[in-house]
Amino acid sequence: MPIHSLPPDLLLPFAGIEVSTLPQQLVDGLLLGFIYALIALGYTMVYGVLKLINFAHGEVFMIGAYCALFTSWALGYTPGNALASGQWWMLLVMLVASMVGCGLLGVTIERFAYRPLRNQPRIASLITAIGLSLLLQYGGQIFLPLNQNIDSKINPAAGGYTVSLGGGSAVDTEALKATVKTKQAAFEDFLTRTKADRFNLNDEGKRLRNDAQEAERELKTAADRGKGTTLVVPYGKLIAMVATIFLMIGLTYLVMYTKRGRAMRAVSHDFDAASLMGISVNSIITFTFLIGSVMAGAGAMMVATFYAGTKIDPYFGMVLGVKAFVAAVLGGIGNIPGAVLGGLLMGITEGIVSWLGFTAYKDAVAFIVLIGVLLLRPGGLLGSAKVEKV
Amino acid sequence: MIKNLGSAWKPAIAAVALAFAFGCSPTETKTPEKTPEGSTPATTTAATTRPEPTGEGVTVTGDVIKVGVVGSITGDQKPWGDDSIEGAKMAAEEFNAAGGVNGKKVELVIGDSASKAEQAKTATEKLLSDGVVGIIGEVASGNTIQIAKAAFGKAVPVVAIGATRTDLTDEGTHVVRVCYTDAFQGPVMATFAFEDLGKRKVGIITDNKAPYSQGLSKSFGEKFKALGGEIVGEVFYETGQTDFTGPINEIKGKNPDILFLSGYFPEVGPMAQAIRAAGIGKDVPLLGGDGWDSPQLLVSGGDAILGSYMCNHYNNKETRPEVTEFLTKWKAKHNGKEPGTTMAALGYDAAMLMFDGLKRAKNLNSKDLIASLNDTEGFKGVSGVVNLKGKGGNPDKQALVVEIAPAAQGFQVFKKAFSPSDIK
Repeated sequence: MPIHSLPPDLLLPFAGIEVSTLPQQLVDGLLLGFIYALIALGYTMVYGVLKLINFAHGEVFMIGAYCALFTSWALGYTPGNALASGQWWMLLVMLVASMVGCGLLGVTIERFAYRPLRNQPRIASLITAIGLSLLLQYGGQIFLPLNQNIDSKINPAAGGYTVSLGGGSAVDTEALKATVKTKQAAFEDFLTRTKADRFNLNDEGKRLRNDAQEAERELKTAADRGKGTTLVVPYGKLIAMVATIFLMIGLTYLVMYTKRGRAMRAVSHDFDAASLMGISVNSIITFTFLIGSVMAGAGAMMVATFYAGTKIDPYFGMVLGVKAFVAAVLGGIGNIPGAVLGGLLMGITEGIVSWLGFTAYKDAVAFIVLIGVLLLRPGGLLGSAKVEKV
Repeated sequence: MIKNLGSAWKPAIAAVALAFAFGCSPTETKTPEKTPEGSTPATTTAATTRPEPTGEGVTVTGDVIKVGVVGSITGDQKPWGDDSIEGAKMAAEEFNAAGGVNGKKVELVIGDSASKAEQAKTATEKLLSDGVVGIIGEVASGNTIQIAKAAFGKAVPVVAIGATRTDLTDEGTHVVRVCYTDAFQGPVMATFAFEDLGKRKVGIITDNKAPYSQGLSKSFGEKFKALGGEIVGEVFYETGQTDFTGPINEIKGKNPDILFLSGYFPEVGPMAQAIRAAGIGKDVPLLGGDGWDSPQLLVSGGDAILGSYMCNHYNNKETRPEVTEFLTKWKAKHNGKEPGTTMAALGYDAAMLMFDGLKRAKNLNSKDLIASLNDTEGFKGVSGVVNLKGKGGNPDKQALVVEIAPAAQGFQVFKKAFSPSDIK
């Protein structure tokens, strides 16, 4: 049974909710979920190795968006400079610039802010992280251009896939199309004949225009019914999803099947034992920050470029950063597959909440889900709760 | 225009919204009833409902007349703050050069509202303690309401620049403005959509954090329904939100043939792009109020915003002598550039109206200034003629509908003018 034709009384409590928009909201939620997952990886990896919540991660993400913005300017896409559609290599350059920029920032933060405090009580590092986060946000207010956005033209893949999910009734729109055409022609003809101003029509003009509009509406309604439930997936968001999946596969390979990855896992278990085994703990920690920040950079570039028009300012990383952090905790902080699962779950939950018409409360619902999960599984979905000895 | 209505309103809005959200079906949350009581735009603001400030007022001593200006020097609305303050400064220079008030010069004291209602209040209190005889400001109605409240106790007049929220002047007789109200702007756009574009099914997108947006959506929706149109749905977002897919998908499912975006330009631009990306074609035009007025809209809205219509106070292309004169003076001071937003002209008008009131006041006292401001008749401003006598602080001005065009074509292309008598 096509979903849009469920018995209406079944849906009475949600009268007014358009069932046909559910697939769209779910897909959009899922696509956003991949971005959450990408950022959540940075939180979870650092926590896994250092037991430190790197609150500055959201700001690293913000700097990544600025790197992408400046690169797009360098490529000629400055505000007000109307250029033709961009090239694929431009996106790649922006992605690399963003990843490199974030990687460097992440490593710098680790080297100068966290390393000197590594043997101090953990609370000192935590407060430093919050301080850094504020420093970057408010410092950005002074040094960075505010309220910017990347020219969406730089993305060569404009438009998107429209998928029909069926459920449409076969409607012959040809006749309606013909009507629209004749009525529009009649109106245009009237305009050329009387040289009337489109915005100051006499009664005849208004009647002709209204007829044309009415025919157009009829056609649209019919075409909409004919298509049934449809799904629009912008190419850009699809690219972001595919790129994210590749990055995650790469990361899994790195952590699970390389020597460096094994060293990382060893450090996360026990610093001292790992260094006794000949692992350079410092270089592994730096490497962890590097990878986490590079992931954030990739995510930032994709949000700033493919979510057309997204405003870039020093608070860019705040909301997404907090949500990604929630995703990491939800999946079990310190656990890499958990971060991905948490991110996707957050995205889908938000999609459902938006579908129910509570868009304004979707952030609140994300936290309610978190509380619910932590009540049942204190370690997160895939994490294991450790009993702390007192 | 309203930015924030002060923290006192937030619990009320939340409570009403929650009651709707959990008490009944979601369709009901979409009725524009959620504005808290008292903030609903009154259709006409009778002068009798405006309380008279009882304070003793500020009397000018010495040779300098201090006048305060509050604007957003920082924050999201900086383009409006910069333009309006610059306009007020130009007016002061000109007025002083022309002799001031019987030889007494005016001196502007400037305060920063930081685009926030709380800051606007603090800035006003500072200006009041400096002994200003009147205050010019602000552009956002939420900020202006705080200014009006702060100035009430001292009986100091407030000339609002671009605050269109209808019930603003209910704060007291000390508040007057040089712009039209949302009770006029909303119906203008509704009439334009219905009569001039022939649209019948509107989807409304409202900024739930901006009382300006809520009020405008309400007045637009009421008029559109009264004309015989249908509101297929209303969806909400919040100031500062960056991802609009949820509400846009929701409104797309309702199949509107026109969309009304009553919010401010920082969100409207990105939202326009998201609307087009979601597959809502250009045959569904976007409509908005004067909250769109910033060239930044062209950058953040890209191609998606072109061909949309907004309501504005005046247009740089107008040929009235006041407009051409103002633009010549402005360009001479700014390397030949035209002002970016209409708030420059409104700031200039607000300041000039204040100075005109000072000239006509019986004594140089803030209470006499309030009386003379409310007696204004036939004040010829850049943005049109301002009549305030018996109008309850709200001038009957015309509103222009403009089309958003590329910067090369001048950003706002005039389409149609509406005078108050056109909207009945």
